[in-house]
Amino acid sequence: MLPSLRLSRIAVVLFVSCALGLGWNAASARGVPLFANAFLQQGEEEIPAPEARARHGRGALFLDARPHAFWEMTRIPGSLPLPEDDFEPFFQRFEPRLRGTFDIVVYCSGFGCEASHLVARRLRDRGIQAAVLEEGLPAWTDAGYPIEEGPPR
Amino acid sequence: MSLGNAAALRHPVWQWAMGAIVGGVLVYASYDKILDPQGFARVVYRYRLAGPTAATGFVPPNALAAILPWAELLTGLLLILNLWRREAALIAGGMMAMFIAAVGYAMAMGIDMDGCGCFTLDAGGRSAGWSLIAADAGLLLLALGAALPPARPAPAASPSPPGRQASPAAP
Repeated sequence: MLPSLRLSRIAVVLFVSCALGLGWNAASARGVPLFANAFLQQGEEEIPAPEARARHGRGALFLDARPHAFWEMTRIPGSLPLPEDDFEPFFQRFEPRLRGTFDIVVYCSGFGCEASHLVARRLRDRGIQAAVLEEGLPAWTDAGYPIEEGPPR
Repeated sequence: MSLGNAAALRHPVWQWAMGAIVGGVLVYASYDKILDPQGFARVVYRYRLAGPTAATGFVPPNALAAILPWAELLTGLLLILNLWRREAALIAGGMMAMFIAAVGYAMAMGIDMDGCGCFTLDAGGRSAGWSLIAADAGLLLLALGAALPPARPAPAASPSPPGRQASPAAP
């Protein structure tokens, strides 16, 4: 009698994998919180759109971590470009203003976008604290907050 | 049985070898990811296939990052030890197909993957491209080979029918 394929064995392997994976993830010091953003590391601040809007009203400086061409097309009013893929030249250009500002918010293009976290981390490495806008520019626009479009004047 | 015969691939030794190659790759690939689930979750995010999205949140990609490396490890060990070989090979084949789809999607969407997350979570790891797809396709073929049912044994010689046995000559 030839051994036939047993779907129950496949189910057992997948079930045990789930159990081991979720169990190890819960016990591991480097586990990922299932409901949280894995881009967010310890010590980093992520703020929701309403909080960002309030800070914007109080004069916070917003930084756009997307590629520069995206900032030229659409952006949060008053924001400066600090693209993650071309960080150094823009940082050097805006460094005096960044060091003189104590309320900075970085944003990018939303879920799955790591650029804002990377830019915030690089600023922190240089002694400049910045929060990250949770869910990025889409959260801002979905909330109906104002945006600027087209090349800056 | 000659090597020219396709059925030769279904010899138990060949099938074990094909499975063991795939199994070894899976076990090796799982190591870094098991040690750093959060780091692997960030890689999963970059593919943008499992999320995160506004509709589904962070759970699908985070759960995938937690579970997939253990599935790789368990499946790989089963293949190396030749236990539940067909089932493990099918799971491995499914994984390879999923990896090929993910890499193809990333390439089609122009996603700049600085490291595919295949064997290391470092940014300088293997990049997502055609060579990776080719490698995964090769492993997929090996997995499918290991999943084939073994060749049927040659039928035994049929016994003489009853009543036809040789009998001493009648006096």
